Amino acid sequence: MREAAKRIIPVPLLMSNAFAPTTSNKTGHWSPSQPRYQNKTAPCSVHCPCGQDIPRVELLAARRRFRDAWRLLLSENPFPGVCGRVCFHPCERGCNRGLFDAPVSIHALERFLDDEAWNNGYEMETPAVSSSGKRIAVIGSGPAGLAAAYFFSRLGHACDVFEVESHAGGLLRYGIPSYRLPLLALEREIKRIESLGVRIFCSYRVDADFLSQARQSYDALFIGCGNGRSKRLGIPGEELAVDGLCFLKQSMQNGSKSLEKAAGPLASPSTAAVIGGGNSAMDVARSLLRLGISPLIVYRRRAEDMPAFSDEIRRASAEGVQFIELSAPLSITAGQSGLTLRIQRMRTDGLGPDGRMRVAPIPGDTDLLQIDQIYAAIGADAAEPWMMPPPTADRLLLYHSVSLLNSEKTLPTVYGGDLVNAEESVADAIASGKEAAIVLDAYFKGGSACVAPAVERCRIGSGQGLSMELYMHGPRGQRSGRVVEFADLNAAYFDHSQAGRGEVIPPALSIGSFAEIEKTLDREEAVRQAERCFQCGLCNDCDNCRTFCPEVAVLIKADKGLQPDSAAAGWQRWIDADFCKGCGICVTECPRCAMVLEEPPI
Amino acid sequence: MTHELYNGPELMYSGHVGCPGCGATIAMKLALRALGQATMVVIPASCWAIIASSYPQTSLKVPVLNTAFASTAAACTGLRAALDMRGATFTTVLGWAGDGGTFDIGFQALSAAAERGEDFIYICYDNEAYMNTGVQRSSSTPFGARTMTTPDSSWKRTEKKNMVEILAAHRIPYAATASIAFPEDLERKLRKAKAIRTGLRFIHLYASCPTGWGYAPAQTVQVARTAVLCNAFPLYEVEDGLTYTLNRTGSLPVADYLKMQSRFRHLDAQTIQDIQDRVDLELQRLRQKAQPAGLESAVPAAASPGL
Repeated sequence: MREAAKRIIPVPLLMSNAFAPTTSNKTGHWSPSQPRYQNKTAPCSVHCPCGQDIPRVELLAARRRFRDAWRLLLSENPFPGVCGRVCFHPCERGCNRGLFDAPVSIHALERFLDDEAWNNGYEMETPAVSSSGKRIAVIGSGPAGLAAAYFFSRLGHACDVFEVESHAGGLLRYGIPSYRLPLLALEREIKRIESLGVRIFCSYRVDADFLSQARQSYDALFIGCGNGRSKRLGIPGEELAVDGLCFLKQSMQNGSKSLEKAAGPLASPSTAAVIGGGNSAMDVARSLLRLGISPLIVYRRRAEDMPAFSDEIRRASAEGVQFIELSAPLSITAGQSGLTLRIQRMRTDGLGPDGRMRVAPIPGDTDLLQIDQIYAAIGADAAEPWMMPPPTADRLLLYHSVSLLNSEKTLPTVYGGDLVNAEESVADAIASGKEAAIVLDAYFKGGSACVAPAVERCRIGSGQGLSMELYMHGPRGQRSGRVVEFADLNAAYFDHSQAGRGEVIPPALSIGSFAEIEKTLDREEAVRQAERCFQCGLCNDCDNCRTFCPEVAVLIKADKGLQPDSAAAGWQRWIDADFCKGCGICVTECPRCAMVLEEPPI
Repeated sequence: MTHELYNGPELMYSGHVGCPGCGATIAMKLALRALGQATMVVIPASCWAIIASSYPQTSLKVPVLNTAFASTAAACTGLRAALDMRGATFTTVLGWAGDGGTFDIGFQALSAAAERGEDFIYICYDNEAYMNTGVQRSSSTPFGARTMTTPDSSWKRTEKKNMVEILAAHRIPYAATASIAFPEDLERKLRKAKAIRTGLRFIHLYASCPTGWGYAPAQTVQVARTAVLCNAFPLYEVEDGLTYTLNRTGSLPVADYLKMQSRFRHLDAQTIQDIQDRVDLELQRLRQKAQPAGLESAVPAAASPGL
């Protein structure tokens, strides 16, 4: 027994040991469907007349890369400071966040980035383009003309701008009061355009002769003169009314010191009627308020039919402007103690074919208004016939916001700005200048046949806005034109939050001066607001795809050189087709619809 | 911005044989990332026995010990003892079993190890039936579900066993629920469990299963998220068996969750209402136990642009 115990033979532990990784199983064959990264088009950028790359701007701002965000704004619009103040921000109407809680404060963020750039002395980035040797004359230095000059220069064309007034800026300088757009904010943007080599000749009256001689010095013309001549009221006594545009120009030039001069014959009027319902009428009324005068806006339709932006109407009303709706002016007569405006009461008369409410006079219902002063602000049109494209020209090519006259008798001439654009706003005027630059540049490169395809290639999604980045073959061109809808997003990844705007001076204080009424966002608030952006259709490196991939088939590498379209952290991701089983979790869990699951045709 | 969770090495290989959209593989991937390389995994019979170890292949970059269905916790106990004898006390022992191997077959060994105060982490990845063998009901299968063994009109009419409560009643140092749809919460709980060495730590990890539950593979995370947000699977943790903290609940109706899956498709409105009432009652009971200030706002942080 004892001996047997000594002869114990150790039994080896029999355990099978796996030694090969599963990576030799190419499980990618299991399914034909394959996810793919595909950036798409955000609805805000489709709504923006200038085609701004808004999700990318907000992404950079959220990461505190303010300079890059500002430069990105500048790549599509020379006037972020102007637009951040006066644009009617259709982008926010298109914002998908509006269907979740409230739209991202795109407008206030644009303004913030402009102020941030100014306060920190950021410098513009100019694309490396060699000079084309072409020289272009730009007539009119409003937003359309200056935007055209800016983009012409960035495309390598030399540019001279001719302005009839003593300073550049057009409507931005003479038509928008400083409580909405301070002069400094405008002048720094004009200086930036001049720094590109654009020469601006002020107090220079261009006429038909100039145009006929321009062939000797220039290769093309851009005419963007804007609506310089106010429309007449067309009623007896109309000469007693002050032209609203002239009043705005004078009050801008002289400030409140020129009260007597600006306000016309009466030394110190205390009440005034402003006839019209557009933005200019609001500007005139609110400027009058600041001069100590109580304005009444007299409009022939209802307040909701006014062409002025609703924000402007709301603010005018908050500051104390009174509205007299459904009242058409009949005549103005001068009396001992001021003026008498006879008005015709109107009633609504059903929707017209254009979808706008029609109005008709109520027979016999007229009224008299005793008033110190009357201002006419019912719109304006071209001051001289040559500013408009010739109506009979057969070689006139029409685009969304510009017309190209391609005649052998004259220089190639692009007409742009308010005079040819159906949409009249600052952003639309800038967009017109940009379209002019794309149209002429394409024309120089390949003649008129090349123009339409070039314009089409720059289009943002289904909208009218054009992108200079697309024209210059930038990375934005990798994006799909499909516009991301709210239903495409995975809203589970978003929390409700408050939209924020710059602080607004209360009306009681704001009417005391022409100082800007809205303040800029502070830095932390701006970052918070930028973080609210969903980045519809744009990968922001959130990494959900990699987090949830059950196959470890989402690969990533840092690659600063590649400049992926997210233009953010410089990461590149791709799907390892050897192992992806096509389950589609990455696509479902992408919060912002920056991926797509593709099934190849059988 | 790459997620903080993702800077470490991947501890799972591609090419494993899990179904497309498998929630249990997401669970393992996330769990191993949180626990790190110094981990040994004990796996009994389960889906994961196949996914991890089809000899001679392995899909994990950490050592795996396969064991019999009933003995996960016993094998973990032995492994822990062996590691400690060799001085490898820093190595984390992870028991990784399905709901069948935890709620039913492995329950005795688990309860015993909990009572003995063994030092390992036990994760039950819960796909609510015996999926590997063809969807037979387990005591984790929820009320109302159809499986191969509760088919047609014989759908399951008993409630799911409350495993975290049972383990909490053992007064173990840490027991928690977690979900693959909330990776930050999961990571935090696993790091916490790893740091505690005074007894058994139990994680009830929800892992949705497209094959067994009947939904499109792409919806795996969505189903898991909805389970939490409709309170069918609230996220909470229990320290020392007594201190409850509620991490994440929601306000969706439970019908949203049930309607995503074909295993619940037969339920009529009244039954759905009964399930809703039960869910509400369970949540109310949980709230009573939980600390009042424990609720976190937990939208997955991945959504915000990183810095």
